[in-house]
Amino acid sequence: MEQHVDKSARWFLYTAITFFLVTILIGLIMAIKFVAPEFLGGIAALGVGRIRVIHTNGVLFGWLLAADMGLCFYIVPRLAGVKLWSEKLGLATLGVWVVVLLGAVVTLAAGDTQAREYLELNVWLDILVTIAWVMFGLNIFMTIARRRHANMYASLWYIMGTLLWTAILWIVANLPVYSGVNDANVNWWFGHNAVGLIFTPVGLAIAYYFIPKSTGNPLYSHKLSLIGFWTIAFLYIWNGAHHIIFGPIPVWLQTVAILFSISLLIPVWTAVTNFYGTLRGKWASGNYVVKFFIAGTTFYLLTCFQGPMHSLRTVNMIVSKTDWIVGHAHMAVFGAFTFFAIGGIYFALPKILKTDLFSAKLAEWHFWLSFVGFLGFAISLWIGGFVQGLQWMDPTIAFLDTVKAMFPYYMVRMFSAILMVTAQVIFAYNIFKTVRGASARVQPAVA
Amino acid sequence: MKLEAKAFLLVVVVAAFMFLGSYFTMVVPLSDPTLNDPGKDAKPYTALELQGRQTYISEGCVYCHTQQVRSLLEETQRYGMGEEETFKRFGIRALIQAPPSQPGEYVFDKPHLLGTRRTGPDLGRVGGKYDNTWHLNHLRDPRSTSPGSIMPSYTWLFTKAGQPTPDAIALVAYLQKLGSNIKWREEGVAQYKMLHPELQQAPPVVAQTAKEVAP
Repeated sequence: MEQHVDKSARWFLYTAITFFLVTILIGLIMAIKFVAPEFLGGIAALGVGRIRVIHTNGVLFGWLLAADMGLCFYIVPRLAGVKLWSEKLGLATLGVWVVVLLGAVVTLAAGDTQAREYLELNVWLDILVTIAWVMFGLNIFMTIARRRHANMYASLWYIMGTLLWTAILWIVANLPVYSGVNDANVNWWFGHNAVGLIFTPVGLAIAYYFIPKSTGNPLYSHKLSLIGFWTIAFLYIWNGAHHIIFGPIPVWLQTVAILFSISLLIPVWTAVTNFYGTLRGKWASGNYVVKFFIAGTTFYLLTCFQGPMHSLRTVNMIVSKTDWIVGHAHMAVFGAFTFFAIGGIYFALPKILKTDLFSAKLAEWHFWLSFVGFLGFAISLWIGGFVQGLQWMDPTIAFLDTVKAMFPYYMVRMFSAILMVTAQVIFAYNIFKTVRGASARVQPAVA
Repeated sequence: MKLEAKAFLLVVVVAAFMFLGSYFTMVVPLSDPTLNDPGKDAKPYTALELQGRQTYISEGCVYCHTQQVRSLLEETQRYGMGEEETFKRFGIRALIQAPPSQPGEYVFDKPHLLGTRRTGPDLGRVGGKYDNTWHLNHLRDPRSTSPGSIMPSYTWLFTKAGQPTPDAIALVAYLQKLGSNIKWREEGVAQYKMLHPELQQAPPVVAQTAKEVAP
């Protein structure tokens, strides 16, 4: 057995959890501004158009991608049966990443943005992200290249895919050569696949690794994981234009995106079948780690059922541009992939620290508050968004009246957001105490 | 050696799949000249409008306002001209639909600002709908012009005395430009008059048929 150092993994996870707290709190401030527009008003840096970008970029890069990278540093050496290629390079990657995150907060608060959704960071930060990703990819690929076992487990293919997809998406989408509707098309080629080819494959890699580990069950089907991987690789990239249905782009492009969107049910249902199959018998007996994966798998199934349905023209005309989509997006990023990452952290960190989690009970609270809070958040936005979409279809209803009609839904969303934030405070506290407990325990041995 | 053991092959095939989808959905539209044809009426932004566009970008207006009238009948009505507006500008009472957004209207947009969410209304046809004073009042205190709005007050675009800063003036100039790359109001009215010959014999006739449409 290799003795894993896990220093890069550990510090990536600490950083991710810190940024999670900050950026989810900004999400709550936004939710409050939707019911009280003058809350924290009069300050440009806290304007809703600016903190929205800090929230989305912060949650995506600061929390989720950083957590996923930390978990990759944990998973890959174990599946390869060797040490991480370079812990030094891993920590240097984290250094660059933190510079990106802090730079992002400062520049976005100052209104320095490129305005394309999820590609807002300025050009210097774009370059730093690219450098960090190359450092990360090199480390992972070199570890895999030196692996002991020739055959690779599903998680490794998904991680290798993520490395490649992310690099191509990021670099091509950031080229300063697009304008007009083509710029929008490229933006959504990136935007759709930021979820589809970055957070989905790395999230699935995490689930493929930790679901068998945390349940003690073997993987349900190796073949299904193969089918899932190759259908993701082939199908996802065609979908960007389904964000601009009825918009000023060619109709054939919209139709292609719709057809491929429906076909996305194949990779999703293979993955979900595989996860449920692996989780069988553990629904009632599972601990908090298993709970996060059960709920995450279910939200993954639901959000990826919504997606193809939204692309149908008859559904799209109602839900597109409404808060329904906000609920949908949060189900993917929070309900599915954040739950997977949390499950992975709860399993991996105590193993890394060779200790027990500080409090299993707090972890259960963390799960239930996140779960209930998210349901309130999403269901209120789905109902509200659907109602507003129907109202927009009647031109005799003034737009302002459709805004006023959202008030009760925004109230429920705000209170649900408070539950979601409270849950993550409990999470951070639990992890903090676990780390403190572990270092207190090893100190005498060091001294 | 099993297929799962070939890391290099996996990387190559994954990249090939990505190239295939990207080529058809991205490169083909990029080389479609009709998507880059500004048409006869589109004009590049003036320096002032560009400055206003930068303010629009910095303040993140794009996250709550789209700039695309979708090709849906209901939207062409909602974002078109109501009777009051046509009467004020053209002396006739009619409903003039806003045409769905066309690629040529966006050729000078870099970056694009199509947007994805309508917390507030679409702005693709807002230019000319209100006067400059309305826009300035609305930016300084949205609820003074639109009771019940949840748009924040952009107080930092105004001096303490309530005077607009150069950024606010530029932003309004940009908003007034939106939708003007096609002459949809003039062409819509001309078409309406053609279908109603009685209107061409001047003094404006008040038509009672059309139902008022909310903005």
